[in-house]
Amino acid sequence: MKRRRIGAMLLTAALATGMLAGCGDNGSSGTGADEAANTAQPAESTDAAGTAEAESGDAQSDTAIEPCEITFWHAMSEQQEVTLTELTDQFNSENEYGIKVTLVNQGYYNDLSTKLTANAAADTLPDMAQAYNSWLIPYLDKVVHLDDFVANDYDNYDDIIESYRDECSQFGFIAAMPFNKSTYVYFYNKTLFDELGLSAPETWEDIKTVGEAFKTEKGMVSLGFDDMAGMLEASLRQNGGDYVTEEGAQFDNETGLETVSFIMDLYSNGYARLVGEDGYFSGPFSNQMIAAYIGSSTGVSYIDTSSGWELGVAPLPGNKEKAANQAGTNLVMFSQDENRQKAVWEYMKFLTSEEATVKWAMETGYLPVRTSAYESDTYQEFMKNDATATAAYAQADSFFSSPAFDGSYDIQSAVNAKLEELILNDADPETALSELVEAVNAETK
Amino acid sequence: MNEKKIKSSLGTILKYVVLIVGALFTLLPFVWMISSSLKSATEIVRVPPSLFPEEIQVVNYAKAWAAAPFGRYLINTVIITVFTTIGVLITTVLSAFAFSRLNFPGKKLVFSLFLATLMIPGEMLIITNFITITKLKWIDTYQAMIVPWLSNVFYIYLLTQFFMQVPETLYLAAKVDKCSDFKYMIKIMVPMNKSPITTIAILNIIGSWNSFLWPLLVTNSDEMRVLSNGLIRFQTEAGSSYELIMAASCILVMPIIIIYLFLRKYVIEGVAQSGIKG
Repeated sequence: MKRRRIGAMLLTAALATGMLAGCGDNGSSGTGADEAANTAQPAESTDAAGTAEAESGDAQSDTAIEPCEITFWHAMSEQQEVTLTELTDQFNSENEYGIKVTLVNQGYYNDLSTKLTANAAADTLPDMAQAYNSWLIPYLDKVVHLDDFVANDYDNYDDIIESYRDECSQFGFIAAMPFNKSTYVYFYNKTLFDELGLSAPETWEDIKTVGEAFKTEKGMVSLGFDDMAGMLEASLRQNGGDYVTEEGAQFDNETGLETVSFIMDLYSNGYARLVGEDGYFSGPFSNQMIAAYIGSSTGVSYIDTSSGWELGVAPLPGNKEKAANQAGTNLVMFSQDENRQKAVWEYMKFLTSEEATVKWAMETGYLPVRTSAYESDTYQEFMKNDATATAAYAQADSFFSSPAFDGSYDIQSAVNAKLEELILNDADPETALSELVEAVNAETK
Repeated sequence: MNEKKIKSSLGTILKYVVLIVGALFTLLPFVWMISSSLKSATEIVRVPPSLFPEEIQVVNYAKAWAAAPFGRYLINTVIITVFTTIGVLITTVLSAFAFSRLNFPGKKLVFSLFLATLMIPGEMLIITNFITITKLKWIDTYQAMIVPWLSNVFYIYLLTQFFMQVPETLYLAAKVDKCSDFKYMIKIMVPMNKSPITTIAILNIIGSWNSFLWPLLVTNSDEMRVLSNGLIRFQTEAGSSYELIMAASCILVMPIIIIYLFLRKYVIEGVAQSGIKG
């Protein structure tokens, strides 16, 4: 928690330094997300992007790449790091140009984000890194535009899942390639559900039915959310509403009130509980303290069924619509050098290739980024025995990504804190709605 | 007579009860950490929690140790801690002596400037310091982790206060005996203030040992990382392997506990005298 706060402070500090530096040289190379986002003509704002444009066009794919070493900063640990290393070793030994990728583990997401912010300020960014869109805003001008690479040297961009493509081009240009993508799914204790004759809920009504059944018959809480802000956003969308934009909260209306009442009722009726000191619901869920929870599909590796129960995984329940959060970072290029940019692109092509994304998905619990990968025999075979992958695939067409703009990162933490407070105080829906709207708007204005 | 005896033994019992309760409270987190480090992943999140592991999982230590080059991390942490602590002691003693005994123009102004830097939150300085380190091309070196921490205004302020309590007459007497300032500092001031100086050393060792963000920022290779950086290897977006975090924490904290056991006399003296603790 504390580190997250430091991260936020760093971001602010970096913004401040960025502004000062901006005054120094010329106005156009300033900071603002709005500024960079408005850059309609791609590849103009920096030297890096400038070179990208210079060598764009026809010659790209057939120019040879000089052997070089590129650095990739990531935040993958445990099994994820093992698989990433295997894939990278394979690329290093197999690529025809003599490109060598060096992996650097920069800790957890918050740490990686902090490092990127600091290095953007010092102009020492790595050749490429994993990143969420919201991190990039203070230094969006340093992100290499990938449009030309995609246009000239990519086998089938349309094969990439549509919502991922949308997320990666959120700033008006292709800023990233999707990589470690996950989604939120509904994990449930199938043994207990069968005992009560219940099946996984498909609608909000079903959630209430399940909640009531577990409460009366087992005295158990049956729902939890690892990510409260993500839950609010998904619920609003499931109810046909909207969450936030740069202008502020978009849910100060009837739909918003309906959604917030639904959420608050879950908690006040004892159907759902907060995660509290457990941090993630996988722990209490493994110990059968809670009957179901909604969390990242990669969390399945932390669920332990050794005490003798069967795990069920289902897509997120919907209401008026279906909507499922997509999470996980993308690959972003920062390299300033033309040759290295090409090398990075080779590596990005490799990591997003059907073969690599299938291996990645099967070993880490992340999801493939390409439709053809989902349809491949290997992955289809894998899905037969993997409930999480099946559930994730079932909701692939209702994925949405959270909007990224200046302050979107702070909104998330503000909403998390506010929701928790409101639930603990058992606030009534009207108060809850107005306080949530206020918390969001405080960050956007 | 007899009544008095009973009273005094009752007092002793009460004293011990209070002390034992206090000790239990202080020890519990450590016991918890060690016990958790020996539990299985399921047992660690079980409710109600168990105080002692059902089945001792020594394998956690092996797993934690293998997850990152902790041996290398340990060496780096020791190097950084030793050098920053020596550096801090030298700069702190010298400047505290200057501020408390010597007279030079602008002394008050300089001292106020020093104190003013305490008002700036450390987070604000990180980016600036980081850019400086980058310009010096010190990324991934020991000096990047040592040089910025070679002096500490808070310690200087603390020690200055202690030095000022030493009577001026001692200084004048030494002067009469033709003792140089430096010799006076080494022979009189430092030995007289052994406790606060040791306290400073210990506070600095603890701080340096636990520092996380700065070493992570200025290093990029595994060979240069420190122990605290290793702890985050057990965290992903979907969960944490608490048993491994606890095992790694035990590894990380052991040397500090050993140092404390050897130096506890000074730590306690220092804290008791200055009323300030880390």
